[in-house]
Amino acid sequence: MVTCLQGLPPPQEIVNLVARIIKSKTFLEIVIFPGFLNVMLSAAFLTWLERKVIARVQMRIGPLYAGISGILQPIADGVKLMFKEMIFPELADLKLLMACALGLMLLAFAPVAAIPFGEGLVIANMDIGLIYVFAVISLFPSVILLIGWGSNSKYPFLGGLRSLFQQVAYEIPMWLSVLGIVMLTGTLNLTEIVKAQERLWFVVPQILGFAVFFTAALAELERTPFDLPEAEVELVMGWMTELSGVPFMVGFLAMYTKLYVMSALITTFFLGGWYGPSFLPQPVWFVAKTFLVASAMVVIRGTFPRVRVDILLRAGWTRLLLIALANIFVTVLLIWLGVAWIWRI
Amino acid sequence: MHLDAWSLVAIYIVVVFLVTFPLLIFGWLMGAKGKNPIRDAPFESGQTHLGEARQRYMMQYYPYLIMFVAFDVVAMFLFTWGLAFMAISFAQNYLFLLFLAVLVAPLGYALYLSGQREIW
Repeated sequence: MVTCLQGLPPPQEIVNLVARIIKSKTFLEIVIFPGFLNVMLSAAFLTWLERKVIARVQMRIGPLYAGISGILQPIADGVKLMFKEMIFPELADLKLLMACALGLMLLAFAPVAAIPFGEGLVIANMDIGLIYVFAVISLFPSVILLIGWGSNSKYPFLGGLRSLFQQVAYEIPMWLSVLGIVMLTGTLNLTEIVKAQERLWFVVPQILGFAVFFTAALAELERTPFDLPEAEVELVMGWMTELSGVPFMVGFLAMYTKLYVMSALITTFFLGGWYGPSFLPQPVWFVAKTFLVASAMVVIRGTFPRVRVDILLRAGWTRLLLIALANIFVTVLLIWLGVAWIWRI
Repeated sequence: MHLDAWSLVAIYIVVVFLVTFPLLIFGWLMGAKGKNPIRDAPFESGQTHLGEARQRYMMQYYPYLIMFVAFDVVAMFLFTWGLAFMAISFAQNYLFLLFLAVLVAPLGYALYLSGQREIW
């Protein structure tokens, strides 16, 4: 305390403090493993994976020259986009576009804070993790609509509107599909939800919920067969059309981060989180399952045609919502049959 | 030092911000600059852009938005019920299940209607 009164503490003390912060478990969790660096690298890896898998589906080779079979391609793209000129249409709201790109990035990264990558390996172990995750995800459409509005161009605006409709429509089936899990476990804490799956993964009793969640996740991610907001033949690139340079890179990365986050959520809710045979450590299982789910989504993009907008909305609001409600009744039946002890911790 | 969950989330968000924001500034500083009326025009597939972008569009799917307002609130309250499902008795639960069944009836009707018409 005395040193504080005399002005700055001696440099040795500052160095010690910084060293202690860097070595602390909290810092490592936030910056390196479940936190920032892991998510950033995974998103970059997913862009490579997507290009490679789609190339295989279409009998091409895909990225080839940067690194071993093009693994460094995302870095090359990043460097290229960083030095590119930012071209925006006249009368576009530049500050708004920049702020929205930044906001998209923050929103895409935020849900990871509540997702457990291993037992105790979570940035913030909060009791309302599930609500927090869904609350963050439901903020996406407003930011995307703002990007569409701020671009002052027709394609982005139409893309933003479509994105809003689609994400709003598929939010509710997505929420209701995990209600069965909340009923079986009686908690909103994601760590507890994973622990409840030690005996049996939720994909077995909640197969309807899994189907609904997976479909709704595809729609929330604006991926084929629900990629109407950026249907290339109609809307060029949807709400991303007028973004260029770093804002484009940030928006693009945010979308792949969202893909990673959604896959991680599916793993957490339905595929038993970090559980797996013990010859590999827990985080490895979690990441492996996450990438497996993401690859499934990528393959779906390569193989399915795009649906029409009215079919998309009707399917979301009526069929998917009905299946989600049916899942709740199945869960009630399971509890009354007395098998709920399997998922008690 | 022990931090509660929300301050950890805040630190994490700040870390993401501290990387992304300089990136945007960096891109702004490094990229070429210049003005050119043709290049600065909004992209409209190579044609001269016509009219304003921020116009009013027809809301064909307005009924869906009304459904959202209703079901969003219902979904929120369903979570509180789902949390307490195991704790409360059948006598209290069956009322809620009845409510859910009532919820399904108009949905089924909507499904029927949407099968009848292309757009509603």
